[in-house]
Amino acid sequence: MDVKYINPFIVAAQSVFKTMLGIEVNLNKPVLKSERTTSGDITGIIGLVGDKKGTITISFREKGAMFVFQTLVGDDCSGVTPDVVDAIGELTNIISGQARKEFEKAGINLKASIPMVVVGKNVEMNFITTIPIVQLSFSFSLQNGEQEVMYLDFSFE
Amino acid sequence: MKVLVVDDFTTMRKIIKNVLKQIDIVNVLEAENGKHALTVLKNDSVDLIISDWIMPEMTGIEFLKACKSDETIKKIPFIMVTAEAQKDNIMEAIKSGVDNYIVKPFTPEKLREAIDKAKAKVGK
Repeated sequence: MDVKYINPFIVAAQSVFKTMLGIEVNLNKPVLKSERTTSGDITGIIGLVGDKKGTITISFREKGAMFVFQTLVGDDCSGVTPDVVDAIGELTNIISGQARKEFEKAGINLKASIPMVVVGKNVEMNFITTIPIVQLSFSFSLQNGEQEVMYLDFSFE
Repeated sequence: MKVLVVDDFTTMRKIIKNVLKQIDIVNVLEAENGKHALTVLKNDSVDLIISDWIMPEMTGIEFLKACKSDETIKKIPFIMVTAEAQKDNIMEAIKSGVDNYIVKPFTPEKLREAIDKAKAKVGK
């Protein structure tokens, strides 16, 4: 896949984490993913249409999702509550918006659906495209130094 | 300062409240869509409105237009907060009378700047 389709997502993820969560994320090596399933425990999903059509998913493991909620909202949480699920949906929406802004600079206009969020590991999904899924994984540190990861999977044609 | 935050997602309202708290704004009312917000505004006076774009029942743009056509509330600074960063959307908000527009993600400092500009625009 052309790097011009990957860079907007990298810029978006790094910018959103830095601005709204105040932390850096480090991009790991992009890979092609053959399984059409969710990568983490809580996954935000957005469809894209316009000059291209496809799907983006943003997925966290439980601890990562709870950290995102706690940092964004300023409240504690003891588990994956509906509010945590909402927070992942909102983060997915914001990253998608930033990525689409980057795509617009490159002359690619996209509109996005309202995000939905799926809870569960390895949930099968329909990416509506036939081409492989690109997976970008971003590592970040929680307050106790533990490492967590955000998976950004996308496929569009 | 008393602020009305309008967004259909409870969590997003909490996120905005958290950012407002970081710039020492703690007196915050909430509404889940434009229609609910208009009801809140009938019963309470606020100094600033922060509204999302896409909401059920009454969208952010519809709510903005309703506010700006009501003599009793049109002077309240109105900021649209959204993930929609595209030019067409920005132009529509400006044409509808928005006092400022801020795109997620934003820092507390950026929100503070947006509030100051919105207040200056309506002469407050």
